Amino acid sequence: MTAITLTLNGDRVREEVEPRDILADLLRDRLRLTGTHLGCEHGACGACTVTLDGLPVRSCIVLAVMCDGRTVETIEGTRADATMDVIRRHFHEQHALQCGFCTPGMLIAARDIIARHTRPDEATVRRELSGQVCRCTGYMGIVAAIRAAAAELHPAPGADLRTPDLSTS
Amino acid sequence: MSADADTQGWVGVRLLRKEDRRHLLGASTFTADVRVPGLLEVAFVRSQFAHGRLGAVAKPDGARVFSAEDFPHLKPIDGGPELPSFRAAPYHAFARDKVHFVGQIVAACLAPTRAQAEDLADQVGVEVDALPAVVDTVEALAPGAAILHDGFPDNAFIHATVTEGDIAAVAAAAPVALRRTFRMNRQATVSLEGRGVLAYWDHRLDELVVTLSTQGAHVMRIGLAMALGLPEHKLHLIAPDVGGGFGGKNRLMPEEVAVCALALKTGRPVRWIEDRREHLMASVHCREHHYDITLYATREGRLLGLKGEVHIDAGAYSLWPSGPFMEASMAARNLPGPYQMQALHVETHTVATSKAPMGPYRGVARPGACFAIERAVDELAHAIGMEPAEVRRINLVGPHQMPYRTIGGMQLDSGDYPQALERVREMVDLAALRRRQQAGEDDGRRIGVGFAVYTEQSGHGAAEWTKRKSRIVPGYESATARMLPDGTLLLLVGIQNHGQGLETSLAQIAAQELSLDPHAISVRYGDTALTPFGFGTFASRSIVFSGGAVARATRALADKARRIGAHLLQADVADTRLADGAVHGPNGKVSLAEIARAANVRQEFLPAGMPPLLDETATYEPEESGGFFSYGAHAAVVAVDPETGVTTTLDYAIAEDCGTMINPMIVDGQIIGGVAQGIGTALYEEIPYDADGQPLATTFGDYMVPCAPELPALRIHHLVTPAHGTEYGVKGMGEGGAIAPPAAIANAVSDALRDFGARIWETPLTPRRVSDAVAAACGDRSEDAV
Amino acid sequence: MKPAAVDYVRPADLAAACSLLAEAGDAAMPVSGGQSLIPMMSLRLTGFETLVDISRIAALKRTETDATHVVIGAATTHAAIEDGAIPDPSHGLMARIAGRIAYRAVRNLGTIGGSVALADPAADWPCCLLALGADILLAGPDGARTLPADGFFLGPYETARAPAEIITGFRIPRLAEGARWGTSKVARKSGAFSDSLAVAILLPDGGGRIALTGTSSHPRLLPAAGAALAARDSAALRATVKAELAALGEDADPYRARCHLATVTRAAEEAWSA
Ligand SMILES: Cc1cc2nc3c(=O)[nH]c(=O)nc-3n(C[C@H](O)[C@H](O)[C@H](O)COP(=O)(O)OP(=O)(O)OC[C@H]3O[C@@H](n4cnc5c(N)ncnc54)[C@H](O)[C@@H]3O)c2cc1C
Ligand code: FES
Ligand code: FES
Repeated sequence: MTAITLTLNGDRVREEVEPRDILADLLRDRLRLTGTHLGCEHGACGACTVTLDGLPVRSCIVLAVMCDGRTVETIEGTRADATMDVIRRHFHEQHALQCGFCTPGMLIAARDIIARHTRPDEATVRRELSGQVCRCTGYMGIVAAIRAAAAELHPAPGADLRTPDLSTS
Repeated sequence: MSADADTQGWVGVRLLRKEDRRHLLGASTFTADVRVPGLLEVAFVRSQFAHGRLGAVAKPDGARVFSAEDFPHLKPIDGGPELPSFRAAPYHAFARDKVHFVGQIVAACLAPTRAQAEDLADQVGVEVDALPAVVDTVEALAPGAAILHDGFPDNAFIHATVTEGDIAAVAAAAPVALRRTFRMNRQATVSLEGRGVLAYWDHRLDELVVTLSTQGAHVMRIGLAMALGLPEHKLHLIAPDVGGGFGGKNRLMPEEVAVCALALKTGRPVRWIEDRREHLMASVHCREHHYDITLYATREGRLLGLKGEVHIDAGAYSLWPSGPFMEASMAARNLPGPYQMQALHVETHTVATSKAPMGPYRGVARPGACFAIERAVDELAHAIGMEPAEVRRINLVGPHQMPYRTIGGMQLDSGDYPQALERVREMVDLAALRRRQQAGEDDGRRIGVGFAVYTEQSGHGAAEWTKRKSRIVPGYESATARMLPDGTLLLLVGIQNHGQGLETSLAQIAAQELSLDPHAISVRYGDTALTPFGFGTFASRSIVFSGGAVARATRALADKARRIGAHLLQADVADTRLADGAVHGPNGKVSLAEIARAANVRQEFLPAGMPPLLDETATYEPEESGGFFSYGAHAAVVAVDPETGVTTTLDYAIAEDCGTMINPMIVDGQIIGGVAQGIGTALYEEIPYDADGQPLATTFGDYMVPCAPELPALRIHHLVTPAHGTEYGVKGMGEGGAIAPPAAIANAVSDALRDFGARIWETPLTPRRVSDAVAAACGDRSEDAV
Repeated sequence: MKPAAVDYVRPADLAAACSLLAEAGDAAMPVSGGQSLIPMMSLRLTGFETLVDISRIAALKRTETDATHVVIGAATTHAAIEDGAIPDPSHGLMARIAGRIAYRAVRNLGTIGGSVALADPAADWPCCLLALGADILLAGPDGARTLPADGFFLGPYETARAPAEIITGFRIPRLAEGARWGTSKVARKSGAFSDSLAVAILLPDGGGRIALTGTSSHPRLLPAAGAALAARDSAALRATVKAELAALGEDADPYRARCHLATVTRAAEEAWSA
């Protein structure tokens, strides 16, 4: 067992971990932050995405011990994040979730996409969502939500702030 | 939204989903999120052999490792139709005597963490005397093939024939006979949340509490009770948030039985959370069909009949309750699609192989049947020099012919099929595409367009399931509508929401009937102790059945509320109406809250002799039990690189009709999600097996799930023909999106590669398959031709 | 799918890491981004006893530039290269390669050093570094050494690195002013390991280099194809690629061979049109 400290969702946390403990398991099983989901456990689906020192990472392929001294944010830590609230609202309005299992990871990826691309076009959003698996929605609502949230968060000078018409028919 | 609803009601409104909030906050509860003190985790020891006699299981720690010998009284969990011709192979939760596929459970190891349980599993020794694997679906029935199950005369669970009309006469007279083989390869269902089960004995309630990621808790309880030998009242099943199912969580699986048995045996809470490798190796597998069909037609493109043989690769066992048999009969009966023809003759074989057992997956059988018939129609069109869309048009059942019984025995109820085809033809602009093809592409890719028309039987009731010899006849659904003293409503339903938005759609129906705001309604499901019996969510049945039951229960409740209201208003019931959450009479109104208060806690205000409570339970089955057919046409436009075989979907248009839409946003979501999965079947997803029966795609490194860059933005057009005989005219539509894409995409790829004569006959159309098909068609000159 | 028990050490510096590795032999394994190693641990495909965490060693994160070369540390992440956060010797080629490796969240941790050390025959960096004519910088118990990328990759997951050596970085020659590049990748889906990846570099002095991976063994330089690239001769390019693949024994899988032909052709076309 090794003692580690984390800044987790703003709080200092000290935990004894085995070197083999996966960050996601520490978060979920011991710290009860079950909003981080496991869809593959080998880095290929994105359901477990959290941020480590501010960058999205896949918590299923990060060892807890390697995070010693670093900052982790999970979906639970975003509840007071105004940017995330905007993204959440657009996910809701664009029907960007069905079963909801991919949603926490999608939201963390979405916030990062908007931060890096400001006002991404559809192709950019799709490319950036590579490796974030959603089995239910077919991604259209997710892509639309990210674009709409980006437009609201980063209005172009003189832009029309209404939600773009993203209806399918 | 409310303004709309005031004037038009809640049915048909794009109401945002009630279930979103918890998911968006990361505050939902899936099975793996449930914690119980003292929990032990299970790691299963699984067979590494595809087929063999099981010898000794060497256990490093007898107190924490369990195998078949520890559970002599567990009953097998095999299912299948109630037909004497169906051969049963007992499926034990823990393998006994033999193993029949890689991944089959041999032993279970218990430890406080999954990692420790896996440590234990690594130390378990399993002796297996290997026998030949049975891998190829068709060759499995060849004389001399190794036999998988002791006592089977051949490797079929069942052989059956579907026949209608005089195929011999049609064959003798038909000017054109076109024979083709098609294969749809094996997949997994791949809900993003895998399966999972947690079981513990609750001493206060004196029952086994089982938290299970399932599509239907009530039905699973029946199967678990049988396997465990427990009376049903001692089993309490809870399905919390369920992260997708798509059919894969609608069968009783050995892990579920094993975990319950382990909890009973050890007296400890026990859970197993499926990992992705287990999911791909040993969860419900699906699709694998092989078709050898001959289409008979006139030279003008009129279809006359279809003859063929269908092999369904069922894997090693037949899963409870229904087994794989429906797959064969549904494939055969859906082969004629929505086309008119005079004769059908299909021999079906449901074949046992040393692979994971087959179960249902969105679309069940129809993606394969649609792929076969629609590919064949395209081949026919080219053989006789007609535009494929035109061949479809002249053979489709027309609106004036409805209701129409297809030669496969499907009673198509309503709709305008040619119109759907016409719409997608316009949406992709077929004429412009043909011109673009003539002009060619700058980058050397080839453009192709493909069409497919499908039907989706939904809401089929008792008669249909009885005809299929189903052990469980999901011919109705139930709902309890309970108005609480403050006038808010609890809806308790027997179906299982796992992404379909049923908390919202069912609330809309109740809101419509009671003129309540949907926010005053809670929908509860997924708990056998809470809700009336129901069969769960599958087979595109929930909106028809559960929606129907909710409509009836709330209508009965509204009726009683009006009677109470009339009494309170001192009016005649006939002079009252329910609107805006109140009963209105000639001289005023009384709110549902006041009525509910009277009914629940102030009985002195009730009419004399009226029993208290506003609590109504109703069941629903439509009168016509053959089902209501949603249908649609899909058109895919693809670009194919003939050298690398990489296919890109450029455009995808859908025209569909599912009757009345309770919530059009949710309907679109179901279509888009279904099409994404269908494109997965068409281009990406596959679990191949090698000659020794080893599965070759056991991680997402090998099993390709399409992501956003792989999928196009879809365009959807709705035709709305309300069904006769369902509440509000709804039809089920959850599966349709997944049915047509393999056919539409394959037709488009084939169209793109027509000049080469590449033979496109097998899904998924991986770059390797497509490139190889072009190379084979071009002989050695492949790259010269490019 | 959980890792077996391991020990863990986080040496303070390179020397400590090297001596740990030298002492432990096969029983120890460096971990950098962990983006390949940790999934392999979870799948229980690894057999070492001690993880040596080199992810925080400052010496692996340095970048140096001079007039002719850029040195980048082994612990540089794919994302840092994608974002242009470090000096670029390649006129954007490396950013393009980086941006197509795996997925963004993987790229935030995965490192160029880990990718080269692992030497997956389908990985992107080995091929790119080969095309760029980079040197691989190694540190071991016996000191530092430098090996050219050409010759470093010996087979699938096999390199000239000794087990106790750590890759410290890469010394990458600056592409000449006016050099052009192109790259093309065939994979079953976005972010998946490639079936074929080609990098073409067209030098202003009339030289050309083509590197190819996704082969059955390791990334290859195709010198004759490089010459055809320089000669801007499309037909000759295809013929030489076929001949070189055949000579290398890399044409046994006809599908892969077709992909290689396609990626090389496209990489060359991109370089020509750039
Ligand atoms: C889902 C997914 C998809 C991927 N797709 C691609 C892809 O398309 N293309 C691609 O190229 N890669 C891909 N990768 C791999 C990714 O690029 C990894 O980041 C990279 O291969 C390894 O880098 P790392 O720093 O994570 O190494 P680690 O996982 O830490 O280590 C990998 C190996 O290298 C050794 N090692 C690491 N650093 C050093 C060093 N400095 N000196 C000596 N040995 C060292 C380790 O001991 C280990 O054996 C993918 C990974 C995932 C999870
Ligand atoms: S669970 Fe981590 S990427 Fe899938
Ligand atoms: S909503 Fe179910 S996986 Fe995305």
